[in-house]
Amino acid sequence: MATLILQVFALACVAVAGVVWLIYFPYPSPLIRRWLPPRKRWPTDQIRGWLETGRFQREFLRYFYRDPERMAPPGDTLIAPADGVITSAEVLDGVRYLVIALSFWDMHVQRSPAAGKVIRLESQGDAFTDGEGREFAFLRAKHCPVQQRVVVDTGVGELAVRLITSLAARRIETWVNVGDIVDRGQRIGRILLGSTVVLELPAAATLLAKVGDRVRAGETPVAEFPR
Amino acid sequence: MSSFFWASDHLGWGVFAIVVFMGAWWLLADLVWRLTSIRIVKLAVFAAGGWLACVALIVAGFYLSGS
Repeated sequence: MATLILQVFALACVAVAGVVWLIYFPYPSPLIRRWLPPRKRWPTDQIRGWLETGRFQREFLRYFYRDPERMAPPGDTLIAPADGVITSAEVLDGVRYLVIALSFWDMHVQRSPAAGKVIRLESQGDAFTDGEGREFAFLRAKHCPVQQRVVVDTGVGELAVRLITSLAARRIETWVNVGDIVDRGQRIGRILLGSTVVLELPAAATLLAKVGDRVRAGETPVAEFPR
Repeated sequence: MSSFFWASDHLGWGVFAIVVFMGAWWLLADLVWRLTSIRIVKLAVFAAGGWLACVALIVAGFYLSGS
């Protein structure tokens, strides 16, 4: 009789696994999720669905809020302020705008590209954008998108990091204040749920990374000031 | 053959093993489908072939161990 009970229990587990699989389809069942890379573990459509309902899977949020330690490379190069892909490096009015697009799966804590003093914190925008065009929205009308601009005086030159939200992101946290001295690679803030970070540099700065490169916050050298 | 489906007071180990294997095989096929870019028809053929081979092994193992 004990054997039968154990067998029925095992078969019930198989049945539950099947039901769970059906409930989650077409997204991965929790039973196999751990073996999938993040982009397949939580597909874009599933995350967009959560954005609409406002209810997120706890496991995804835990992954999203990760804040790993990063080791800045030696030297005085400017390092990437965010994880993501460089999508643009245009120059406008003497300023180079290095645009880094973050995806839902990128680490979302931003870091200072160089050591220096925070001289300005500016809030801009009062609306949100999504999808195409968001990368250049900061060059256009100021009402869109919502963003925070952290200006750092490095002693060699000024640079600024813009934390730009999207329709999905909507929230920005900045962890520094005007007058704070920041180290190279120090955490300066976080955008919640995917968006864009723009590093503003003097046009004369030498780029060490190119459009299409994947960069890591606090680790990847992206530019250096002219000597 | 009867002990394959039902033993004296519990399910036969043969049918039990096949049902449990089917569940695990289904999840494994789903994992492979998500991890690779294999076409669904090709995956179905491989999964069905593997399933048949493993069920044959279970049946053969059951009778060989019982004889």
